Amino acid sequence: MDSLHIIISTYFFLVIYSFNAGDVMQGWDGFSLKHYQELFADTRIIEIVLNTFVVALLSSLIASVIGTAGALYIYNQSSRTMKDIVLSLNNVLLVSPDVIIGASFLILFTVVGFSLGFMSVLLSHIAFSIPIVVLMVLPKLKEMNTSLVAAAKDLGANNWQMLSRVILPVISPGILAGFFMAFTYSLDDFAVTFFVTGNGFSTLSVEIYSRARQGISLEINALSALMFVVSLLLVLTYYFVSTRSQNKKHTTRLITSATEGV
Amino acid sequence: MTEQKPVIEFKKVSLSFDDTEVLKNIDFEIESGKFYTLLGPSGSGKSTILKLISGQLMADNGDIIFENQRINEVPAEHRRVNTVFQNYALFPNMNVFENVAFGPRLKGLNKEEIKSKVYEMLDLVKLREFANREIDELSGGQQQRIAIARALANEPQVLLLDEPLSALDYKLRKEMQYELREIQQRLGITFIFVTHDQEEALAMSDWIFVMNDGVIQQNGTPEDIYDEPINHFVADFIGESNIVEGSMRSDYLVHFVGKDFENVDAGMRANERVEVVLRPEDLDLVPIDEGKLVVTIETQSFRGDFYEITAIDDDGNEWQVQATNSATIGERVGLFFHPEDIHIMRFNESEDDFDARLESYEDDDE
Repeated sequence: MDSLHIIISTYFFLVIYSFNAGDVMQGWDGFSLKHYQELFADTRIIEIVLNTFVVALLSSLIASVIGTAGALYIYNQSSRTMKDIVLSLNNVLLVSPDVIIGASFLILFTVVGFSLGFMSVLLSHIAFSIPIVVLMVLPKLKEMNTSLVAAAKDLGANNWQMLSRVILPVISPGILAGFFMAFTYSLDDFAVTFFVTGNGFSTLSVEIYSRARQGISLEINALSALMFVVSLLLVLTYYFVSTRSQNKKHTTRLITSATEGV
Repeated sequence: MTEQKPVIEFKKVSLSFDDTEVLKNIDFEIESGKFYTLLGPSGSGKSTILKLISGQLMADNGDIIFENQRINEVPAEHRRVNTVFQNYALFPNMNVFENVAFGPRLKGLNKEEIKSKVYEMLDLVKLREFANREIDELSGGQQQRIAIARALANEPQVLLLDEPLSALDYKLRKEMQYELREIQQRLGITFIFVTHDQEEALAMSDWIFVMNDGVIQQNGTPEDIYDEPINHFVADFIGESNIVEGSMRSDYLVHFVGKDFENVDAGMRANERVEVVLRPEDLDLVPIDEGKLVVTIETQSFRGDFYEITAIDDDGNEWQVQATNSATIGERVGLFFHPEDIHIMRFNESEDDFDARLESYEDDDE
């Protein structure tokens, strides 16, 4: 609990000083929004924020599709050894340090002559997000009643109809969780991006790191404060989306019981 | 059976999982419009037969014929049979209406047709007002009915039911038995019902297949199977039985527990070793001098409509008796039964031989 307090108080410290009229975090010179003005005037940082979100959104979307397909493959794999191999590879990617992943991608991109920039960052983000999605989707598949598949076939569904009308809706909470997790991993990734970025392309974490070396401007505090608000919104969105289906059920129940009462 | 054309035929169908033979050379015919039951203990292969018919499993050998066409290789989604699964397998992401509409929608019916089909089915299972409910808001019995409605919405020729009542409590199960029977008779289609509950099988079926170890042990009407079990397994599995070993002195005379008894079975070799079945409800406790055997009352328990009594004869054989009057434990009494209560079973007699023998001496009597 204590460490949590420290982390949170640091955060508040950071946020409060973003409103400081002075230029350093030592000593409070009065309230001002000037660092926010600086931030919005800084077109490079705005562009980088957009880059970061575009990479996060694209990589997590693509990873959700590939990861779900991968989880389906592992689930349907009848050979036990094959299943174990693929699952182990997945877990290796999941636990290997970002530095190693970043370095390997750098070597790979250099060897095949792939130019560093937006695409290299996007590809590597997709790569480290896929195992996360697999990890979130696979348990949902395992807890799915296997006779649902048999029932869909029995009622005349072909493979695609079975997938789109039964399996995907049933495992959608897992896909959603995987998507949001991949999104946040991509958003705050530093190590991998640091290795594979280039040609002027940068993301937020890398940019803040390079600026911090010249002493942190309170503009970064303002940015952090805004990012904090965005992450809060993300958490709320996830909460809302993941409970929506149940809310819907709940409302129908209320309506039905009300009408039955009448 | 009559000369009607069968809907489903199995010809020498066998199936193995790894090295275990689950079905061994299964042969049978299913006629349309009847209520069939596959009855047997778990692992007897009864659900496997259902899965072969629905297409969830593929046979190793033999032919599965559906309306004169071999369907071994036809995938499940193209077979004109539907299944009610043991755990119902209702789609949790859809409400009741959508579950029942699943099949009709895939068939490409238009909105109005789908709606009328769904409500027709919901009416059939008496759950019309539940159309907009979610699946997790239904009780087990209601889910069961929706599963039946969903399967029937596809208008199958044959409805397969895989132990659908096993998760319900006793009273609900009884109700559903009547209801299923009623639905089957109303629609006039074939039901194939899998169960391990012999009472359920006897109550609902037109025709029963008793299975054990991947083999059909006996098939017939509930009465046939109860009154004339072919072997020890069937006699033991269907109802309560007293089974003792004995031998046939000659036609209509059997020897067991050290005495000769008149009976009504024939067609066996002289002095052939046989098993003798006496049903507990056919045995009466009488004064010693009126009995055919003398027994000592061992235990007694009250079962509501009868007393279940065990008694031991002088040779140490145990006899189960169902009596309407109570007895006194430790008392020596007579045990009485009629010649027609004695049922004889030969060792290793095939079903065909059994039927032929029964027919031969039953004809003699007439």
